[in-house]
Amino acid sequence: MASSLFHALNISRQDMANRLIDLDVVGNNLANMNTTGFKASRANFQELLEDQTRSGTTLLNTQISTQQGSVRASENPLDWAISGEGFFQVELPDGTTGYTRDGSFKLDAEGRLVNSSGYYLVWDGELPSANVSLVVSSEGIVQAQTEEGERVDVGTVELARFANATGLLAQGQNVFLESEASGEAQLGAPGQEGFGLISTYSIEQSNVDMAREMTHLMTLQRSFQLAVRAFQQSDTMIGQAINMRRG
Amino acid sequence: MIKGFYAAVSGMVTNANRQELLSHNIANLDTPGFKQVLVSIEDFMETGVASSANRYIGELGLGAMTTPEVIDFGQGALESTGNQFDLAIQGDGFFRIETPDGERYTRDGRFLRDSEGTLITTEGFSVLDDAGQPITLPDGEIEISPAGLITSAGEEIGSLGIAFFSDPGQQLTVAHGNLYSSETEPDGEGTADVAQYYLEMSNADPAQIMAQLMQVARSYEAAQKMVQNQDDLLGKTISSLGRLA
Repeated sequence: MASSLFHALNISRQDMANRLIDLDVVGNNLANMNTTGFKASRANFQELLEDQTRSGTTLLNTQISTQQGSVRASENPLDWAISGEGFFQVELPDGTTGYTRDGSFKLDAEGRLVNSSGYYLVWDGELPSANVSLVVSSEGIVQAQTEEGERVDVGTVELARFANATGLLAQGQNVFLESEASGEAQLGAPGQEGFGLISTYSIEQSNVDMAREMTHLMTLQRSFQLAVRAFQQSDTMIGQAINMRRG
Repeated sequence: MIKGFYAAVSGMVTNANRQELLSHNIANLDTPGFKQVLVSIEDFMETGVASSANRYIGELGLGAMTTPEVIDFGQGALESTGNQFDLAIQGDGFFRIETPDGERYTRDGRFLRDSEGTLITTEGFSVLDDAGQPITLPDGEIEISPAGLITSAGEEIGSLGIAFFSDPGQQLTVAHGNLYSSETEPDGEGTADVAQYYLEMSNADPAQIMAQLMQVARSYEAAQKMVQNQDDLLGKTISSLGRLA
């Protein structure tokens, strides 16, 4: 076993750094306890061991939890929640398509549907004017109510799903991007095989499980303390070795 | 004199080794599927000593050394995660993993369905079924029974491969990350219950580690003091022995 106290020191240093990354992830989950359509993430750490040298842990990846958030009722007909698999497609400022579960939409002055992060919904259709009331069916058919009280079809909303949604890339603002791990987006109407349904007057709440995150936070804190303790001890031992010679 | 000097130094070296291993166990306190590594300290060889009149007096220990590393394959606690591809083994056995270097074994059940539907580890290696083949899953909800049977909407897809070893401590060596390799084929029998939506956590025990840390700190300190004592004695011998008046 090729070993030195400096290696022990390095293991603990990396350990502390990794715990801080984990703390960031937990902190972000807890901060988004009440964010519409938010999906909790998890950092996956793994034992670092190469050529029989044990070196603590390494961060492999982070994965999002695709568990359904609970759906709560709202007053707004443009609050759309997805029950089941799938994401709304939104247009990002740079023109790429992002994917989100946040379906709290509003109509902007030009009659476009925009979600709470300010991104335009990508859908197949157009509104006759900005002053219409809209309803969407659970299968994604959007109808506008004219002033005469008549309902006309104005388009359809398609959802995007992924072979491995846990591998989506979190872009911030509650938006995900497709990645190599997630696979390409497959589009389909809500209710088709594999796709969830849209419900109006509904908001999908964050899927963060507070009890789980708090427990994780507590064990994390203790593990961090232990890492600090090991670090200090290795340091003391190095000091003892250096100061061994006297006079 | 010199014998005692090196014996004391060996006490420092062995404790430095233990410190490194403890740091590694501490870093992996929360790593799913991690199995703690244990070493202890034992006597280094002994040598006979003779008196000045060349009479045999007895045996003298030449210090300490660490025993070979032992992996503690004890069961870790199961933690619920709510993730359908998180699997834990309760009991004996290991998941079978295909890597470019050959088949490997692990207790870390953090799996994923990749974009082609293959069941893979977080590192991207295929998880194998009971026939040693990669597992391809359809879309949607997957159910995995305690016996390892994989079903989707009531339809059978395959069965998870679980490898049993008669003596894992002897047959398995650490290969890379959390994967173990074996020179011999899985030859054991055992019982394994697969728990879906759960992960097996590390089996390192913080209380035990804390006690070991204290032990290492004090043994190292004592050994260091002994080295200093030996050095002092040697210094005195050189400076005063043989000086006339």
